[in-house]
Amino acid sequence: MKIYFKSSVILILLLTGMSSISFGQAKQKANKDTEAWRYEIEGAGGVGSEGTYLIKVWSYSKKPKIAIEQAKKNAIHGVIFKGFAGAKGDPSQKPLASNPSIEDEKADFFNDFFADGGKYMKYVGVVGNGDINAGDVIKIGKEYKIGVIVSVQKDYLRKDLEAAGVIKGLSSGF
Amino acid sequence: MKKLGLAIWSLFIIVGMCSGQAKKPTIMILPSDVWCNTNGYMMEYNNQGTVVKVPDYKRAFQENADLVNVVSKINGLMADRKFPLKNAESALKTMQSEDADDAIAQSKSGAAVAESPIDKLKKTAKADIIMQLTWVVNTTGPKKSITFNLQGLDSYTDKQVATAQGTGAPSFTAELPVLLEEAVLAQIDNFSASLQQHFDDMFENGREIIIRIKKFDSWDGDLEKDYGGKELGAIIEDWLAKSTVKGKFSTSDATANMMLFEQVRIPLYDTTGRALDARGFCKELQKYLTAPPYSITNKLTMKGLGQATIYLGEK
Repeated sequence: MKIYFKSSVILILLLTGMSSISFGQAKQKANKDTEAWRYEIEGAGGVGSEGTYLIKVWSYSKKPKIAIEQAKKNAIHGVIFKGFAGAKGDPSQKPLASNPSIEDEKADFFNDFFADGGKYMKYVGVVGNGDINAGDVIKIGKEYKIGVIVSVQKDYLRKDLEAAGVIKGLSSGF
Repeated sequence: MKKLGLAIWSLFIIVGMCSGQAKKPTIMILPSDVWCNTNGYMMEYNNQGTVVKVPDYKRAFQENADLVNVVSKINGLMADRKFPLKNAESALKTMQSEDADDAIAQSKSGAAVAESPIDKLKKTAKADIIMQLTWVVNTTGPKKSITFNLQGLDSYTDKQVATAQGTGAPSFTAELPVLLEEAVLAQIDNFSASLQQHFDDMFENGREIIIRIKKFDSWDGDLEKDYGGKELGAIIEDWLAKSTVKGKFSTSDATANMMLFEQVRIPLYDTTGRALDARGFCKELQKYLTAPPYSITNKLTMKGLGQATIYLGEK
């Protein structure tokens, strides 16, 4: 009985450990994908409330949960560096950062900003409790490509980046 | 020599950045001519036998609530970006009240306020950049959509320096003010981004201005007059090549009586680090021409930050 109990505990610990290692690896992979621009971002059609963008972000991961979580980071990354095409009559939006090399020039700032649980979280929220439409989960090989609609507080994001001296505001220099 | 010139201008820019701020352009929103014409806000006057139509901004602001709402929304969004705009409606009212003040103002001895025909001509609601606004309501059966166009026009170079335009999604139910608000919100970021590009270019390559050189007919000299083997026009061009940022300017027109320089890129700061505009820049040229060996009496007039004219021969 004692031996059976001991083996069970070890097995549970092993499984938990392996699962968290695998989750951590998937998370690392998702972060690398973000840095390598491996995500797609598009307007979600429809106007968000004033000062926000409503965006659909397609992220890749073997674990759907990570893809959903990474969508927030990808959305902010995309709004700052990539811009996105509009949908259903909405215009395309240019990236907040007009300097294409700003990501490298301010690497220290962005490393902290985009760290897990970093400041980027302040500006983004998943719309509708994070429910994903059936058509927005696509299995590609061993990975999932998942489309999540998020809302980005772009006015606050822009103001905070301007205040941090990362991007220039219209009145900079005057 | 070129390297030395570049080094001097770089020094000017660095000194300027440390000691002052560049002159901030003013921006004002006005409805476009086509919008005014479509909505019946034009007035006509007879200019020596030719009927000329001009926009009646005052009536447009007094009678069209949609225009006031759109302008107010854009003003608010730009103020939020720390770039408050000049309000055209208020500028028109201020001008009227200034006219009334000038008409009754007099000194203790009974003298009136002096105003030349040129002063009168210059009394218009003006800004360095005009945000020209146009929208069209498209109707297909019960569906309505808005085509919205916002152009940033430089008042001096006549260049379009910023733009945002597009047609919104059609709606069965939304009312016009709601569609207009959506259009403004959808377009303002792109407009700001293109305006930012214009400012970035200005900080990198200098402010773009226009300079005109003219002569009074009472002066016996002209721009072809010879000074030490060089014509006056060429001497002015040499001065510009030395004084502009990276020697950038183009001579668009040159005769014995006038010269027109366009795309003249002037530094944002002078040698003392003070912010520079077209007038400040041309003052140096004025001094250069007044001093020997040229000793030409001249008069300098300006139009906003970006246009200046030097009249040779008299004050």
